[in-house]
Amino acid sequence: MIALLRMEIGKLLRLASLRFSLVLLVVFPLLWAYAPGVFEVYGFYLVSGFQVPALGLLSGMEFLLPLLVAITSAELLGIEMAFGTLPTILLRPVSRSRWLLAKLLVAALYPFVVLLFLLLVSLAAGAWFGFGPFVGGTGLGEAGILGQGVMEPAAAWTEIVRAYAVAAISLVPISLLAVLFSVVFMSAAGGALATLGTLIVMKLLVVFPLVEPYLLTSQLSAYVAPVAGLGWVVLLIAVYCTAFAVAAVLLFERKDF
Amino acid sequence: MTSRAIETERLTKAYGARPIVRDLTFHVDPGEVYALVGPNGAGKTTVIRLVSGLAFPTSGSVRLLGADPHQRPEVRRRLGAVVEAPAAFYPYLTGRQNLELHARLVGGVRETRIGEVLEMMELGPSADRRVGVYSLGMRQRLGVAGALLAEPEVLILDEPASGMDPLSLHLVHRVLKVAAEGGTAVLLSTHHLDEVVAYCSRVAILEEGALIDEVDLRDRRARYRASVSDVHAARVLLDTQPFVTQASIRGAEVVFQLTGPDELPRVAPVLTKARIDLLGLARDTFDLRAYYQERLGDRRRPEEPPGPEQLTGSPATERAEAAPTETERAETERAETDQAETERAETEQAETEQALPRGER
Repeated sequence: MIALLRMEIGKLLRLASLRFSLVLLVVFPLLWAYAPGVFEVYGFYLVSGFQVPALGLLSGMEFLLPLLVAITSAELLGIEMAFGTLPTILLRPVSRSRWLLAKLLVAALYPFVVLLFLLLVSLAAGAWFGFGPFVGGTGLGEAGILGQGVMEPAAAWTEIVRAYAVAAISLVPISLLAVLFSVVFMSAAGGALATLGTLIVMKLLVVFPLVEPYLLTSQLSAYVAPVAGLGWVVLLIAVYCTAFAVAAVLLFERKDF
Repeated sequence: MTSRAIETERLTKAYGARPIVRDLTFHVDPGEVYALVGPNGAGKTTVIRLVSGLAFPTSGSVRLLGADPHQRPEVRRRLGAVVEAPAAFYPYLTGRQNLELHARLVGGVRETRIGEVLEMMELGPSADRRVGVYSLGMRQRLGVAGALLAEPEVLILDEPASGMDPLSLHLVHRVLKVAAEGGTAVLLSTHHLDEVVAYCSRVAILEEGALIDEVDLRDRRARYRASVSDVHAARVLLDTQPFVTQASIRGAEVVFQLTGPDELPRVAPVLTKARIDLLGLARDTFDLRAYYQERLGDRRRPEEPPGPEQLTGSPATERAEAAPTETERAETERAETDQAETERAETEQAETEQALPRGER
């Protein structure tokens, strides 16, 4: 399994969509950190390097980050179809479920890679503002970006790391859903588009208050304000992840190639 | 008892109501080269995918080295296969890196093996170039190299010579022949009928997913024809020899089958000793192409409107309903050839007699 994982990570690093995502994720925080109209639009000035990571999440989790995660995760399997390597690999003495499980694990890991990268770039972009104590908040805690008095660096680090970890966790089911759809449609584009379509439909379902706490899309803002507590978020995401992974494996096991 | 390398039993694959493979039963033994031939859309690729475990049968069964390849994927450790044409590899890796990746998936591949198979397929000089720049033929050769990587007991190849130049094609067939001689069971689909005759053990002719004929080429390969001074005496003489399994007369020649090709040098001395002049000796080459065309032609011949005799179970109806067996066909073929040869000989004799002065007739 370790060998399979290493292979899949190697393939992930070579994906065109990953490279494209990384370029976007470099540009994105830089634009935010030095955008001239932040005050006019949001009513605040950036005063600390700890505030730049919040901007990345606040604007990215709405659409860009789920999009990037869905495209790359769908491409993990789609690339095998594009190169025609899927049958060749499946002819080797590796069970289909183990092979797909390796892909699913890499897909589950991918949101953490994306958000770690975004965090590092955001911190680098915010270095100009410094990382000392500052008046205000990180934008990722209860006090928002305006804060409540002076914020110490240790408290700021805690808020940022917690928020990025929760954000990454809430993106994992989207990643696995993209793999599931790429198994269904046997194409990267089909997988990514079906995932985005599902997310859009889920967002529209917020008009049903009873359903809202269970929606995948409702958990995308859990890094700052969980709908029903962090424990609920983790449990629900675990259920989604298990369902998507099991469905993908079962479908893949019975596919004709 | 030798266990079968590949065995299918009433193998059927259908997509919806449309059958792609129908009731296919065949086997391949170790050391055999079994070729699937047939027109495009006959179901050859589907058979290859079913046997190699890439597709699931709708009904019937597949056994690969005695095991179900779906239930026991580890049996594929002993399988080498190329099911894509051209063989598919990661274009951003070199040929060697691709094989290294496959070696890791297989496990237990000797360190020197990658170099060996690359040399075997004459890819040594280009082994460290990215596969993305390989030609079609080079990719296909790399595919065969990949299939040979784990020194498999079974080789399954779908159109292994697709897109190859004549030299590469010859190389691939030579490698497959050597593998079979070493005990590997080879199943391949191909359109190269001439190459098939040269080294395949048996050929299955498929049409519309069904096996319409199976020809054993091993028997044909040890068959010879000889021009002799006395065909009748030669036939009787050869028929009694322990190294001859069958002898018959075809026109002015005697056609015989040896127990093995190595026995050929024993023929001339036997005839000479019996004072029969041997005027010519040649292999009785089996024309698979003609046979194949004829078999498919038989099936594609439009049916005549039913006449009164067909409705009452005439021989014509029986012929349409039951395709003749290979033996029946061969006998018919031989009888037709014999008749033609006899007529030709009679005509020649008559012409010769007319040409001769009356006193010499």
